[in-house]
Amino acid sequence: MLNNISLGRYYKADSLLHRTDPRVKTLLYLVYLVVIFLIKSPFALFALGLVIVVQLFMAKVSAPVVWKTISPVLPLSVFIMILNLLTIKQGNVVFNWKMITVTDYGFTRASLMGIRLIFLILSTSLMLTLTTTPLKIADALESLFSPLKIIKVPVHEMAMMMSIALRFIPTLIEETDKIMKAQVSRGADYDTGSFLNRIKGYITVLIPLFVSSFRRAEELAVAMDARCYRGGVGRTKLNPLKIKSTDILVGLFLAVCAAGLVVMDLTLR
Amino acid sequence: MKGKISRVEKISVQNVTFTYGSEGVDGSAPEEPAVENLSLEIEKGSYTAILGANGSGKSTLAKLIDVIEVPDSGKIIVFGKDTSDDSVFWQIREKSTCVFQNPDNQIVGTIVEEDVAFGPENLGVRLPELRERVDQALKDVGIYDLRLREASSLSGGQKQKLAIAGALAMKPDVLILDEATAMLDPKSRDEFLAVCEDMRLKKGLTLITITHDMSEAMRSGRIIIISEGHAAAEGTPAHIFADINVEQYGLRRPVAVRFAYEIAKLAGKHLTEEDLTGEAELREKLIKIFTASDLSAGNVPELKPVDPDYRVRRKIMSVKDLFSSYDGGKTFALKNINLDVFEGEILGIVGESGCGKTTLISHMNSIMKPSSGEIEIYPEEGKTLLCSKKGDVQQIRQTVGLVFQYPEYQLFEESVFKDICYGLRKMKLSAEEQKDRAVMAAKSVGLEKEVLRKNPFDLSGGQKRRAAMAGVLAMRPRVLVLDEPASGLDPEGREEMFALIKTLRDKGTTIVIVSHNMDEAAAYCDRICCIKDGEAVICETPDELFADKAKLHMIGIDQPKITKFSSSLKDELKKSMPEIVFEKALFEPEEEARAVYRAVLKARQKC
Repeated sequence: MLNNISLGRYYKADSLLHRTDPRVKTLLYLVYLVVIFLIKSPFALFALGLVIVVQLFMAKVSAPVVWKTISPVLPLSVFIMILNLLTIKQGNVVFNWKMITVTDYGFTRASLMGIRLIFLILSTSLMLTLTTTPLKIADALESLFSPLKIIKVPVHEMAMMMSIALRFIPTLIEETDKIMKAQVSRGADYDTGSFLNRIKGYITVLIPLFVSSFRRAEELAVAMDARCYRGGVGRTKLNPLKIKSTDILVGLFLAVCAAGLVVMDLTLR
Repeated sequence: MKGKISRVEKISVQNVTFTYGSEGVDGSAPEEPAVENLSLEIEKGSYTAILGANGSGKSTLAKLIDVIEVPDSGKIIVFGKDTSDDSVFWQIREKSTCVFQNPDNQIVGTIVEEDVAFGPENLGVRLPELRERVDQALKDVGIYDLRLREASSLSGGQKQKLAIAGALAMKPDVLILDEATAMLDPKSRDEFLAVCEDMRLKKGLTLITITHDMSEAMRSGRIIIISEGHAAAEGTPAHIFADINVEQYGLRRPVAVRFAYEIAKLAGKHLTEEDLTGEAELREKLIKIFTASDLSAGNVPELKPVDPDYRVRRKIMSVKDLFSSYDGGKTFALKNINLDVFEGEILGIVGESGCGKTTLISHMNSIMKPSSGEIEIYPEEGKTLLCSKKGDVQQIRQTVGLVFQYPEYQLFEESVFKDICYGLRKMKLSAEEQKDRAVMAAKSVGLEKEVLRKNPFDLSGGQKRRAAMAGVLAMRPRVLVLDEPASGLDPEGREEMFALIKTLRDKGTTIVIVSHNMDEAAAYCDRICCIKDGEAVICETPDELFADKAKLHMIGIDQPKITKFSSSLKDELKKSMPEIVFEKALFEPEEEARAVYRAVLKARQKC
């Protein structure tokens, strides 16, 4: 039931983006996050789409994986579009029926919002989750935030918590699936009935899921203890991060693309 | 030469008492000590099995040796170092490693090699050596080729091997397996143990295995039985199973030994420790008993009435040309399954992990839809429900009850009563009817009425499982499908579970059991269906199935242990008594022993 969601899942491949230093990818991710929210003109948005296509090729991610990544957010994207379409009253009216008014400005704005969300998910996945293992993301964050250790921010611990949370996503999805199946076999129905009833239905899934997560957390803590985990001090790394010249090239290339997009957007506005 | 072992050469547990704090592992009864006045010694480089019922304190012992917990009183000295001494505590933990039961809850890294490196990274091992250790550990357990795979994509057996690799990379002296094989199928279990035993010999590890599996315990050099938190008995496997009444600790003897004991009992003879040192010795002893001139005619109980052949009964479910695919037809999890279930039988579905057993039973209850083919269900004469028909789904789910593996993890209501009623509420029954059915269902699984008011999370593991089963039984299904109903239970718990299943059958429920334990499938099922790579290769009664060794080899399943031992004995007997005729094979060790005894008596009368 939940098996085909790939949001937050690593996609194994040998590509340029996979090999790029996770710190570079994290910084690029932040850059594109800002860019996606800065861009307002349709042409610049289209150009951004092209850049994302280039990224797709750099990551060697196949079309089905792309679909699996964006399909869970499509309903949300459509919802945001409709919401914007119906609430924005500025601009020239193109359609009017009873209470519903659609304007041309509302239409462009709504599409912009909807497409932005999809681009956001795609670029997040490409820069981070699909091409970078959770441990590497944690490594990158730990390294990027390490200056904060001076002011006693527990950077290592936070990075470790994050990587474990990510590592358990597939496990918990599997578990949720099992619980839902067991309840469906006892007559549960999550798809019909009133909204309130559906929410109630999910609560019966969440309780056993929470209980089992605590049990897993407890067991994992013991297992980590048994393997001598004692925080970040004195820890070594099997695959330490090292910046190579290709990392710098990839970083520069995508950063220049991003800058280009912003300049284009500002001139077109 | 039996000198005193020096302190440095052993793990010594001295009068240890330990109670989990108020935040105890499962929150249950924190005031009761998990381990009480426990004393034992384990020699360096030895192979020790720790046995005991669920909740006897075995796992706590593992945690105490690995310094995850520190005793409240008493002392634990690991190779000369005291675990309560803070200055050496890391040194002990570094040298003792554990592999736990649930593979998913001990993997930290996403990628296989990253996970293996986790331990040595914590120890601060630097780079060229770190890489060497990781690679060596992966090669030692034979999963080097998988080093770049995602850990969550491995099979259960591979995940457990990954866990040993993670332990070996720390260069330990002690390897503790805490029910590490409990979730594996027999083949992966054998492979896993072989790796551990091999590493013990090559690297001089001290191997401690905590287990419920008696044949696993037989492989060790020494057994320690823990009961109610203290060491109740210890000795070589031969000594333990010859001289100690292990049943009082919730354990059972290995099947071959149970078989031999029954024969010795009938003949009025005694088995000694020497007879139990190996299967060959045991066989020799039994031959000696049988060929002795004074073989007692004994008081051999008559054969239990044989179960009727269920294949003449009415069909209650019929699986027809079933195909199932997860990816829209590229690969098939199930291929062309044809299978009939007859009213009142216990049908076993066996096969290796990942062969499609669970997928098959998910179709029976219409949770999964077939890619092609059909499952027809006949709740009563002249009525047919189709799994692919949407309108029938609700009725199917009431006719076929499905209990998944570890159902206790799926309880969610605040009282057992409410949890049992969940399905009944969905059926929109009246409150009266719900109550009646819930009480009846609880009774049928052996839960007292008072338990109904309790919070399900306060029950013991076995009770929880029964409560979860009651939730399905309350819907009064005609067919009850159970996925590994006995997994994780100790030998006594397993026996009780199967006794319960037999009672349910006797009251008229048709049962389908999924299992990878061939011994239990043979002993309790009327028919067994073997699934291999998604295909139903064979479906026969146990005695038909297990009689033909060549066929079994082809399908890739093992004979039950009792059949293996008994048929080797029968071959020997044929040599000395050519005219002997054996009855058909039985699968409960005691029953089979009586059958062989009867055959020998008859053959000797003829002479």
